[in-house]
Amino acid sequence: MDKSTEDNKLIARLVHKDKKALYALYDKYSSALYGVILRMCQSEAQAEDLLQETFIKIWQKIDSYDETKGKFYTWAYRIAKNTTLNALRKPNLLIQTENLSVDNNKTLIEPKPDYSDLCGAIKKLEPHHQEAISLVYFKGYTHREAYQEMGVPLGTFKSYIRQALDQLRKSYQNELLLLWYIFELLA
Amino acid sequence: MMDKKNIWEEGLLEKYLLDELSETERLSIEDALNKDKTLKAHFERLESDFERMAFENAIAPPSRIKSAIQHHLEKQYSTIFFSPTLLVAASLAFLFLLTTVLMYLRWQNAQDDLQTIQDQTLVLQERLNALEENYLSTNTLLKTINGPKTIPLVLHGNEMVPHARAVAYVNHDNKMVVVNAQGLPELPKDKTYQMWSDVEGEMINMGLLPTDQELVTLRYIEKAESLNITIEPAGGNDHPTVAQLISYVTL
Repeated sequence: MDKSTEDNKLIARLVHKDKKALYALYDKYSSALYGVILRMCQSEAQAEDLLQETFIKIWQKIDSYDETKGKFYTWAYRIAKNTTLNALRKPNLLIQTENLSVDNNKTLIEPKPDYSDLCGAIKKLEPHHQEAISLVYFKGYTHREAYQEMGVPLGTFKSYIRQALDQLRKSYQNELLLLWYIFELLA
Repeated sequence: MMDKKNIWEEGLLEKYLLDELSETERLSIEDALNKDKTLKAHFERLESDFERMAFENAIAPPSRIKSAIQHHLEKQYSTIFFSPTLLVAASLAFLFLLTTVLMYLRWQNAQDDLQTIQDQTLVLQERLNALEENYLSTNTLLKTINGPKTIPLVLHGNEMVPHARAVAYVNHDNKMVVVNAQGLPELPKDKTYQMWSDVEGEMINMGLLPTDQELVTLRYIEKAESLNITIEPAGGNDHPTVAQLISYVTL
């Protein structure tokens, strides 16, 4: 079955508050969304809460999803991104700001895990292209924030994004061609 | 509508996908996508590429998150069904229903009681009317027999019924005869007492004399010379059975 058709059937059930449809969509998209959320907030505990919040919002707001305006994943990605950015903007009073531990060296010794590593086609891009895509897609930066972060003019940053997307497209097309070639050989 | 060239150059499709646009810009892009198939196709490719990239960089979340979502949704539903507000509302509704049913039953009982009382009142009213009628009739008779112009006449039984006794009250002004026949002995069912007036030797029927009534009004006969009581077959006779004459009194 076509992926979007399958999604649309699940979404139609979800609109009628079928919990199993939500669980099926969770099974399908939670890993991709968790990858985005975790790279944005860099905290597993917080990412877990935010992924849960994202799917609760999907459950509550599914009526506002319009399939003619885009794919379900794009809509869910926007919810995940905005939920995460809102959480990161809030001052978390529960987070300990002063170091009250006796062994001060312990925090220095334990390295903080880094979830920024990327995989797949993006890994094959030029470093500046990788960074541009990573900033806007996996870190939640706006274009305006991202070009300042990279320290390049806005126009240059936009070119980076366009070039990176073109290269991603070629990469995926080549993979498709390769797959087609393998199928032809097997046939 | 936004210029297609402007959309390309400004990277607005990417910004739209990443939800970076203002409300006005977003609506303009959606309008442009609806009208331009090339632009729409490009946006769909962009979506697919971003989605594919996201899946290439997917990280499996711990299974407890799905469990937490399931728990949240189940709890949410159970909260809806068993929320304190709903329970209070349900209790109030139940109490209201109970009160309504009780009130209805009490109203039904009251209706039944009222109907019974109305029936009893009707019976009592009928009995009262009968008593009043009886009282008026008796009162009239008593007034008549106690009146100064009423002549009481005692009829003693002859040798056939020596202990028999009847009293006749005769009022010539009112042309009325009332007899108390309770002093006569009881007869078999096929027999009855009958009273006759003797007018110039002819016995004229005055009526039957039931012994179970205190006062019996009989027909007044003009120029009667005597009153006579005979025993006749049940229902009375056209002519007196002289052999069964048990008493008489001269007027």
